Amino acid sequence: MSKKKTIVTASGEMVRKKPLSLRIWNNRGYYLMFIPVLLFILVVKYWPMLGVRWSFYNYKPIGTPKFVGFDNFEKMFRTGDFWTAFKNTLVLSVMKLLLTTFASVIVSVFINEMGNLFAKKSLQTIIYLPHFLSWAVVASIFTMLLSTSVTGTVNGILKDWGLITEGINFLSDKKLWRPVFYVINIWKETGWGTIIFLATLAGINPELYEAADIDGATRLQKIRFVTMPALSNTIITVLILNLAKVMNMFESVFVLYSPVVYDKADVISTYIYRQTFGSAMPNYGYSTAVGLFKALVGGALVLICNYLSKKTRGRGIV
Amino acid sequence: MKKKLVSMLLALAMVASMTACGGTDAGTESSASQGGGDGKPAASSDAGSNVVSDYKLDKIVMYVDGTLAANAEENRDAFEKQWEEAVGVDLEIVQPDHSGYSDAVGRALFAGDRIDVILLSAGQYAEYASTGILWDMTAAYENASFKDRIQYPAVNERKKIDGKLYGFAPAYGNGAVTYVKKAWLDKVGMKAEDIKDFASYYEMLKKFSTEDPDGDGVNGNTYGLVASGYAKLNEAPYVMYMPEFWQDAYPSFYQDASGKWIDGFQTEASKAAMKRLRQAYVDGVMHPDTYKFSTSDARKSWFSADQVGSEGVFTYWAGNWYQNLTDYLNDNGVDSELVMLPPIKEVAAAGGYINRDAPVWCIIDDGDGDNSREQAIFDAFIDTMMDGDKVQMLWTYGAEDVHWSTKAETFSITTNKGKDNEKTTEYTFEEGQFHLRPNSAGTKLWSKNAIDPTLSLCALTNGNYAPTDLIVEGNKFFLDNCYDAPLTPSGEKLTEYNGDIVTAREKCLAAIVQEGKDVETAMAEYVSSVGYAVDEILEELNNK
Repeated sequence: MSKKKTIVTASGEMVRKKPLSLRIWNNRGYYLMFIPVLLFILVVKYWPMLGVRWSFYNYKPIGTPKFVGFDNFEKMFRTGDFWTAFKNTLVLSVMKLLLTTFASVIVSVFINEMGNLFAKKSLQTIIYLPHFLSWAVVASIFTMLLSTSVTGTVNGILKDWGLITEGINFLSDKKLWRPVFYVINIWKETGWGTIIFLATLAGINPELYEAADIDGATRLQKIRFVTMPALSNTIITVLILNLAKVMNMFESVFVLYSPVVYDKADVISTYIYRQTFGSAMPNYGYSTAVGLFKALVGGALVLICNYLSKKTRGRGIV
Repeated sequence: MKKKLVSMLLALAMVASMTACGGTDAGTESSASQGGGDGKPAASSDAGSNVVSDYKLDKIVMYVDGTLAANAEENRDAFEKQWEEAVGVDLEIVQPDHSGYSDAVGRALFAGDRIDVILLSAGQYAEYASTGILWDMTAAYENASFKDRIQYPAVNERKKIDGKLYGFAPAYGNGAVTYVKKAWLDKVGMKAEDIKDFASYYEMLKKFSTEDPDGDGVNGNTYGLVASGYAKLNEAPYVMYMPEFWQDAYPSFYQDASGKWIDGFQTEASKAAMKRLRQAYVDGVMHPDTYKFSTSDARKSWFSADQVGSEGVFTYWAGNWYQNLTDYLNDNGVDSELVMLPPIKEVAAAGGYINRDAPVWCIIDDGDGDNSREQAIFDAFIDTMMDGDKVQMLWTYGAEDVHWSTKAETFSITTNKGKDNEKTTEYTFEEGQFHLRPNSAGTKLWSKNAIDPTLSLCALTNGNYAPTDLIVEGNKFFLDNCYDAPLTPSGEKLTEYNGDIVTAREKCLAAIVQEGKDVETAMAEYVSSVGYAVDEILEELNNK
């Protein structure tokens, strides 16, 4: 007995589902439009994935790649520097994410509360600007500002004020490197991070604020009971989306770290960089193995975030 | 159900891609075949012959780094066109970004991209020669038309591996010498001839960092010296920029007097050098940002227009850079008289300033067992490079009437364009007078192309010679005071562990100099982290 496929329409009527080929033909315009996108995804996103097979090979610029099974992974797991880099990646990324998101929310709320439109727009423009500077430029600026040389601005001011007698090695002290790194990240990315929160704030129904006014709420109470709840979904979405990218940290660390702070600053991408460019005959297989591991952890983080999103908001993001 | 099916198909595709044993990859085959397929150089069918190949070359694909100064922005097309006209072979120049050159070469070789000739650093040469991909040019070199004109035969003799030459160095390797600002010496009441050993050298550094050598009325706002890092532990010859501190130490693998390979990083000489560097760091005689400076940062700090925060001593390339540094100081309105410091006693005892292993031009072996194609490339590319006239001029100075000329002309050079200290200098030359022309931006006089005329293996025979007195003096000074850097080793294990070992060395050096960690403790940590790798490398090198 053949089973007829049926679907239920919006009006609740049961109708027989048309064959797939007929449905495709009926929607051929959409399918045609989709083809370039599909090809792009396959070629640009999926085709390069074939390269992950090299993580099971000793793959050098010259000679036939030699299949070595899990040797590259074995080397990776028994290398202390890899685990240092892995731990640093998680710590630096997560802290940076939390701090910049927190700073963005605070600044967004502050800007939203500003009455003077000119001041508001000016402030927005000023705080967006650092985002457009490359990390190389940012590193040069902060290296000069924080230098312990006689031309270092920050140390010079602190000495002039009598707060210190010896210069502080902001970028070459193991205890200070991470806090300085976070501050630089907050300076660079907070402004850009406010865009999405300001958009959300602009969409809050003004009647909620009017109702709060009628109830006699103070400005802080309105922020606490109207603004923040309205922002909460966006904050979670931003956090979750960015959490998926935490393993990709490279430029910001690469331009600011040095051997003396490797233990606190080296991340997986910088570790891969040194492994690849530290030799005239690098083993790309090893670099690929570390990269694959990084991708798997990143993938796992996305799934965990999706699960958490479902739990907390009732719906996932993927 | 469909979703599950699609997911399963995607997963299967991933698994298949990950486990695929792509041994027949086109690039792979190509790379393997280039070396003869058996990991050994292709047999030299006409080795020792003195016959110029009659193989008809269609074109030559050449890979070169940024040392070809006639790059895309500096009229490389004109260089290429004139070379093709002179040699009669089509030339394709591939010039990847200088800093990414090594990686670009590796990827091109693996992908099987056509490469006929390639410029390799000493490190790359050592690694690549053992793979069989480089053509054995011993016989071709012995029978080259320029052989009788070679001024420095030892340069290429040193390049031989087990008696075979796989790459040709057209010039001396060159290295760095220590420059001191003469005006600063005068200000602190010292004379260059009094700086004979490390104690007097260090005293000079201390005076530069505690007194007022720049004459601005403030004591202690200058430094003794600057460099790009305490050592460049990932690039031979590692200690070129701080010879007075490293002295007889060579912090990498090298052969000791008995011929045995050792880890120079763990020697007492290296430990002593690290202690000296620590002391200099504590005393504030070196610029505090030395640990992070690139060579460009260090240079700029040294010849900066504002001498506050600048330094008196800078160890940098000899020859051309003697002139360049003088020019930069001049352009910035700083007293430009420099003193090249003869090696102090401890450096002289080690041999003097280090002459780095010269980069070499190599020919890729197609592995077909027939050398006629490779010999033809040698004849067209390498033999002509040292012809003493037209083609050597192209490699030395660039394209005629573009980079240099003998025609009567007048032009001007403007330095510091758009700045307060903008300066325009006019030059006039008569017909038949050999002279260099302005660079494409008109900000500088062109100085050389790929081969330094003062270091060239063979001199030009046409009488055209443009180096300034300073360049000549600088090169002579270096040649009189240098020794050859230890040979760069190669091996499977070294390749495997090099990245980890360099990182461990960098951490150890930084911990000692910047954190003040006890040398023995830091060295013990180095040994505990990569000692096993060092042992495996030494075992491999010593059992070769």
